[in-house]
Amino acid sequence: MVSGLQFENSCEVGVFSKLSNAYCLVAIGGSENFYSTFESELADHIPVVKTSIGGTRIIGRLCAGNKKGLLLPHTTTDQELQHLRNSLPDEVVVQRIEERLSALGNCIACNDYVALTHTDLDRETEEMIADVLGVEVFRQTIAGNILVGSYCSFSNKGGLVHPHTSVEDLDELSTLLQVPLVAGTVNRGSEVIAAGITVNDWTAFCGSDTTATELSVIENVFKLREAQPSAIVDEMRKSLIDTVV
Amino acid sequence: MPRRPLRRSQLVKHHPLTFSPFSRSIAQVGFISMGNHQKNGSLIHKSNVPSSSAGKESVDNNVESESDEIEPSDDEEFDGVIQADFEFFDPKPDDFHGVKTLLQTYLDVKEWDLSGFADLILGQPTVGTVVKVADDEDNGIFSVVSALNLYRYKDHKCIVEIKEFLRRVCQEKNMRDDLKSLLGEEARNVGLLVSQRVSNLPPQLLPPLYDALFDEVSWATEDEPTEELRKSFCFKFYLVITKFYELKSTSQKRRQNSKTSGDEETIYVKPEDEIFHKLSLWSVSFPLQTQPVPPHELRNYRLMGLVMVVEAEKIPTVRQELKSLISES
Repeated sequence: MVSGLQFENSCEVGVFSKLSNAYCLVAIGGSENFYSTFESELADHIPVVKTSIGGTRIIGRLCAGNKKGLLLPHTTTDQELQHLRNSLPDEVVVQRIEERLSALGNCIACNDYVALTHTDLDRETEEMIADVLGVEVFRQTIAGNILVGSYCSFSNKGGLVHPHTSVEDLDELSTLLQVPLVAGTVNRGSEVIAAGITVNDWTAFCGSDTTATELSVIENVFKLREAQPSAIVDEMRKSLIDTVV
Repeated sequence: MPRRPLRRSQLVKHHPLTFSPFSRSIAQVGFISMGNHQKNGSLIHKSNVPSSSAGKESVDNNVESESDEIEPSDDEEFDGVIQADFEFFDPKPDDFHGVKTLLQTYLDVKEWDLSGFADLILGQPTVGTVVKVADDEDNGIFSVVSALNLYRYKDHKCIVEIKEFLRRVCQEKNMRDDLKSLLGEEARNVGLLVSQRVSNLPPQLLPPLYDALFDEVSWATEDEPTEELRKSFCFKFYLVITKFYELKSTSQKRRQNSKTSGDEETIYVKPEDEIFHKLSLWSVSFPLQTQPVPPHELRNYRLMGLVMVVEAEKIPTVRQELKSLISES
């Protein structure tokens, strides 16, 4: 299910929050409406953690993570790092990395299996990503843009990319990521997908400017209509029972 | 090519006092795409988009101004002078994102129907102007002006929220009654004057911009298709919501030989605000809840909100004074 919301009159929800299957980070300083939308959707299933990174509120663009880990830039303070380590579940490895390109959220797009990264990322960072997040890393561009983390957003079920992505690029990326992809916009024509939407396997949050057409595209490609958080576990259980019979 | 000494024009003095990364990047875009232009002549011309309302004559407003001949400079050798061709357009729905960004700081409230307000402005192509740079691929909006009739849009959520905001902010007794009548019975004759721009927009654009707005208002009183619309532009009062800087502690003793030039009590962010304030019927200033970080020169000042009511009959005076203010500075 997709919810439309605003952070202090800005529809760039993906800038002020970070959502994965195991946790959700939100920036401090927003209105109570912002938190309560997240908490009402998610609090029963995953922890919703308020934080800043490097004293800033643009946490969605500075960090990258999935259910296995969270990568933080070198600008993260020690207190913030400790706070995140304490608040997130133990299975999530929280790691601060030394990387010149410190806006990790703009440089890395990932789900629980695959990550796409900025072409100029350090070798060591790429290894860290593979280690901490447990993913296969591919250096890619999207519609000629090197900031892959900004111009696409994908979960384990599907993905949305920059509207000017060519059909060949879409096919190539879809094969790499092994999920269906669609080229589209969010927030009434904004091409910066990841700034306007934040998504995990069963829910998505986008800016309130998003039109009904964009919302239906998002619901379809991320398969959110029937998605329930427990379904992820149930699906596995069903397949096990099948083999017993 | 020999390097000629560059005359510093008005375009240079304003290093972006912007507090939004968007407008900083727009200033960058303007610079990068202008670097190779060697045009002389008109700095501004108005063009009417064909899809605008019927009955509007297109006005060519060529303003001759001295344009410096600059060499196409590299980014590293940027000496501070750029040439720019600004164009005025009617507001179109495509301009949504740019206009919304400019209106981010319009009211002080945390959350209100900003998108709806932007839509109102864009839905009124007959009165209202949007300033863009010629040949700009990014379609960046540098300024927006419009006049919205409070009665015509009284049912829109954004206008209701603006009225709430004004009521909350005008605490003084005598102003409150005036405000109440303006927002209530007199609303048919009240126009909300919206004017937002990037802070480093050249001031030479202001007289034509306001001329365009007030001319459009008077044309609309004749050209609009229905009687009701025509009447809705016969404004008697203009309501202006804006901001200014006030010296932090008024008990500060003003020394004769103050180091900082112009230790004035109030500094207006927009030059026309001073004229509006002088000629206003009444005005109210109020403290803002959200305080942006002031630039270094203004560290002793605090940003305050200002609401003014200007009578429509005073507008010709405003236009004249604005012209003389800009031409002498």
